[in-house]
Amino acid sequence: MPQRILTIVLLVGLTAVGASIGSRRLPDNQQGYSPKQPIAYSHRLHAGELGIDCRFCHSPAEQGRHAGIPSADVCMKCHKYVTSSFDLLQQEITRADEEKRKPEVIVSPDLRKLYEALGIDDPQKSTADPHAAPISWIRVHNLPDYVAFDHSAHVTAGVSCEKCHGPVDSMQRIRQFETLSMGWCVNCHRESSEQGINGHAVKASTDCTVCHN
Amino acid sequence: MKSIPRNQQIPVVTELTPCRHPVGEILSEDERISFSRRRFLEAAGFTLSLAALQGCSRAPVEHAVSFTDQPEGMIPGQMRQFASTCAGCAAGCGLLVGVRDGRPLKMEGMREHPLSAGGLCAIGQALPLGLYDSHRLKQPLLKGQLAEWWEVDKGIIDILKDIEQQKGAVRFVTPTVTSPTLQASIDAFLARFTNGRHISFDAVSCSAILDAHQQTHGTRLLPRFRFDLADVIVSFGADFLGTWISPVEFTSSWRTRRIPTAEHPQMSYHVQLEGRVSLTGSNADRRFRLAPDEYGAVLNFVQVKLTERAGMAAEPVEPWPSPLPESELARLVDRLWNARGSSLVVCDSQDVAVQILVNSINHLLGNYGKTLDVERPSRQKQGNDADVLKLLDELSAGTVAALFVAGTDLTQNLPVSESLAEAIAKVRLVVSFSERADDFASRAHFVCPDHHPLESWMDAEPVNGVVSIFQPLLEPLGKTRSILESLSQWSGQASTAYDLVRATWEKDILPRAKASSFQGFWDKSVHDGFVEVLPRAVTTSEFQTGVVKLVPKTIAGGDYCLSLYSKVGLTDSRHAHNPWLQELPDPVTKVTWDNYVCVSASIAETLMLTDGDVVSVSAGEGRESVELPALIQRGQHDRVIAIALGYGVKGTDRFSQIGPQWLESRLTVIPGDTVGKNAAPLIDAHEGTLRYVRNDVTLRKIGGRHELAATQEHHTLEIPRNVAPHGAEVRDVVQHTSLAAFARDPQAGKPEQHISAEPQLWADDHPKEGHAWGLVIDMNACTGCSACLVACQSENNVPVVGKDEVRRQREMHWIRIDRYYAGEDDDLTVSHQPMMCQHCDNAPCESVCPVLATVHSSEGLNEQVYNRCVGTRYCANNCPYKVRRFNWFDYPHDDSLLSLALNPDVTVRTRGVMEKCSMCVQRIEHGKIEASRNGTPVADGQVQTACQQSCPAKAIVFGDMNDVSSAIHKSLQNPRRYGVLEEFNFRTNVSYLRTVRNQPDDQPNSEPHEGGQHV
Repeated sequence: MPQRILTIVLLVGLTAVGASIGSRRLPDNQQGYSPKQPIAYSHRLHAGELGIDCRFCHSPAEQGRHAGIPSADVCMKCHKYVTSSFDLLQQEITRADEEKRKPEVIVSPDLRKLYEALGIDDPQKSTADPHAAPISWIRVHNLPDYVAFDHSAHVTAGVSCEKCHGPVDSMQRIRQFETLSMGWCVNCHRESSEQGINGHAVKASTDCTVCHN
Repeated sequence: MKSIPRNQQIPVVTELTPCRHPVGEILSEDERISFSRRRFLEAAGFTLSLAALQGCSRAPVEHAVSFTDQPEGMIPGQMRQFASTCAGCAAGCGLLVGVRDGRPLKMEGMREHPLSAGGLCAIGQALPLGLYDSHRLKQPLLKGQLAEWWEVDKGIIDILKDIEQQKGAVRFVTPTVTSPTLQASIDAFLARFTNGRHISFDAVSCSAILDAHQQTHGTRLLPRFRFDLADVIVSFGADFLGTWISPVEFTSSWRTRRIPTAEHPQMSYHVQLEGRVSLTGSNADRRFRLAPDEYGAVLNFVQVKLTERAGMAAEPVEPWPSPLPESELARLVDRLWNARGSSLVVCDSQDVAVQILVNSINHLLGNYGKTLDVERPSRQKQGNDADVLKLLDELSAGTVAALFVAGTDLTQNLPVSESLAEAIAKVRLVVSFSERADDFASRAHFVCPDHHPLESWMDAEPVNGVVSIFQPLLEPLGKTRSILESLSQWSGQASTAYDLVRATWEKDILPRAKASSFQGFWDKSVHDGFVEVLPRAVTTSEFQTGVVKLVPKTIAGGDYCLSLYSKVGLTDSRHAHNPWLQELPDPVTKVTWDNYVCVSASIAETLMLTDGDVVSVSAGEGRESVELPALIQRGQHDRVIAIALGYGVKGTDRFSQIGPQWLESRLTVIPGDTVGKNAAPLIDAHEGTLRYVRNDVTLRKIGGRHELAATQEHHTLEIPRNVAPHGAEVRDVVQHTSLAAFARDPQAGKPEQHISAEPQLWADDHPKEGHAWGLVIDMNACTGCSACLVACQSENNVPVVGKDEVRRQREMHWIRIDRYYAGEDDDLTVSHQPMMCQHCDNAPCESVCPVLATVHSSEGLNEQVYNRCVGTRYCANNCPYKVRRFNWFDYPHDDSLLSLALNPDVTVRTRGVMEKCSMCVQRIEHGKIEASRNGTPVADGQVQTACQQSCPAKAIVFGDMNDVSSAIHKSLQNPRRYGVLEEFNFRTNVSYLRTVRNQPDDQPNSEPHEGGQHV
């Protein structure tokens, strides 16, 4: 009798462990990784609602291996003026109109962190201090050191950003969408060589040293 | 008393106590641990599943810190090149510094540079390791204690004020200064003292050449030697391809006359007369063994014969019989005379009388103004030994009030270090600008560390009229300060190095340039790294024939002739802290991590010496002696013993544990000792010059052994003699021919061998429809200088393994230079053959790998996949070229500063993995991506391998063999082309071009080559 109970407990336990492994991922698979970032930056807002092109901020993706995290001065192209959410700014303008005064600068807590990183108090007046504390983002898409991935090669070949990064324009917080495993890379290389990308014939090599050197 | 009370027990073991359970004793039932096979499997299974679960956890969090304000043009992860100047020596080669994400990583030669023309030597390639050296001083020292700059400045300024008032003597010692700004700063600094002098001290000096020109041309100058214009080159000991004055420039220009073609079978004729076997001698067409103390005898003969030829009255020849056969010398004189105006005689002697004779010979041959440029002379060696010797007298007399030393280690490199140290103790103010606590710095009151050359602004004018710029490529890593700023601070006009360099350029360089606006001129100069301007006026007198005298016989007796030389890749002591250079095998002896006494076979026989026997060399009246291991060198003059300078540097015991530390490992150097021994005490200060040659030496075997780590016998392509069938031990790995034979038949020298034409097993396996990468190495251009070796090490993160591992044949260099000897002492022929993975299409390594860790790419590369490799080493065993290297250990990368020198494009390999030359596949991939980004095909020359880029002789051609317009395609059609071990049908993608020596007949080819023989 106790043996049967033990067997059942073991079976249930093993199933549970198996299920949990299955629901998670193989070792080194970071799919679904979505850590909390120092600034609650929303890709859904910027890329989705506002429709800003990926390459506006990630311009090195066309020129080099890394897509790069935009430097804080890129953010300031807009956030010199957009210091808070549109609603709050609008409310302040209305209120200021009613009270017959100049609208105050309203800074949202997350944008305050951006200004701090630049060492500026008033986004519209002071100039950036290059030695202020830069923002330390948490890296999401991270390939092992023995992989040499080059963004520009893929962008030039016509691979869309979503192909690897998924629907970023719907992500409130950035998340690793694909497995980014070697099998996944190789499958795409094979398919692209056979079918082409957007109707263009491409030669996506599967030689080892294309990625590993 | 039954026993001694516990507290009185004496802790001495009198006998061995038996252990509780002697071996073989059967344990009692309850003592035995019952651990069944089943229990073990259960535990193992549980551990494994836990480990698997653990593996499912997230990888460690990685941060990505973005810029606040991204610099213009900066692309993360992309290498950008900035023009600068190499500061490894005073030769001033053009440098392109590859900077990636703010850190300088890879040094490359600048193709446009008028002197170096794209090459860079091993020292230049090893600069990053000097930059990221954690032993560099990070702040100034005051009496040996760490101090702040204001304290040091205050101390120095106060004492200087006092010295100025008391009219004390101020002496400023530097090696050759080619920088106009530094020279101006030193002059300005010294101007306020009534008795201030700047002294140029070169650790390896050419003072006699300058002194000789002072007498023959009225101006103390060093001509610029133009090997590219010389049809006949006669060098008396000058190792101009290895270490002499400006080896990269000379290699590059020497090479231009060394490539015969089927249409123009012509090349320069290079004769070397030398005592030891130098790199230059090993590349000469004709090499004579001549002891350095007998140069005078041969030069006398040449001078007399040439005077006769010129129809002038010859001095009667003194009875100093020529040590070489007169018929041979007469033929040499004929060749020189026939090449009047296009011949060149150079000599490394430090005897002014000998150098005057050399000048006279060059004058008789009409070479001045042609192969010797005195209008735009070289400034690469300006050391004035007479000044140095005078300084030593002043120091011992105690008349020097302040001594400043920058850029050299005075006590390390002078023969009188003991008495000098005492004399220095008497000087009131001793200041060193050394970047580390070297021997002199440890005696200085103040050490004001200068920036590394990659951290600061500076300039250089290595040849009159060629001015170049150093620009800072990163923020200084420590609280160091440019010497320019230190001097300006103490002169009372504090300024930045940038402003000082700019000011000099505006004042001195701009008027010599054809530019109108300074800003435009400056911007262009910084961008290009160099600028050619009008030379400073040099006034030379007519050739003073009156001073020319035949050299009297000088041999003062003594059985031996000591020759002190500088070693390729190390030169003087300033690079001794660079492990890449310490582990670089000497091109001729192949020894790493040591200096040694090269002795001839006859000396070895007399003293019954074998390699590694410790001998004592003593010289001079003080009987200064140095104890070093002996090394028998074939081809060395019977009387000559040669020792390399630049070793025995204080603090090099830091390398004692540089390699992997394991059970049987031995230290590279014993703590407290140094790498090699300092041979500077044997330098002879004689008649106003520092002589590197002397007769008054004794050589003694003192017993004891010191194992040398030589790579010559490692990875040999020869079949070991004891297993080879008769006649099969000689393989035509290096192929030779003579110019005469080549002129008759461009394919001369090709051995008769059966090249397999059998059908291919996998004929369609490697179609190579796109690119087909390959290398061609011109053995006629290659001098064996080993720049490629360090370039490869820098590019591909090749680890340093330490002396003990080298001794165990475990050096990791991906490219090695095989050295082959043919002939005996008098007709020694040396060949240098760069050997790296040959990227065989029928690769023997690929077919034996059980895990497909080495496979063939569609572009003809033999790929090594580190993550697949399980370390069976079958591939290395099966490789006929022995180019595979196994990671026996995880080589240490725990110095986080030094790890900044690692190339992020190349995987750092772990223990248990095989590695080898990848033909710089990361560069190929990068080139392909760049081309696709621009929408163009990969242009020929767009991708360069690291070895090819660095080669001063342009001996290596890389490219796409499918591209019919490419340089490599042309090279492959060369009749001199051959493949190493071609007869086995490995179908290599690396080819060689046969050596042609300017010799009359087929003589060298008849000699079998003895690779792997370290004789």
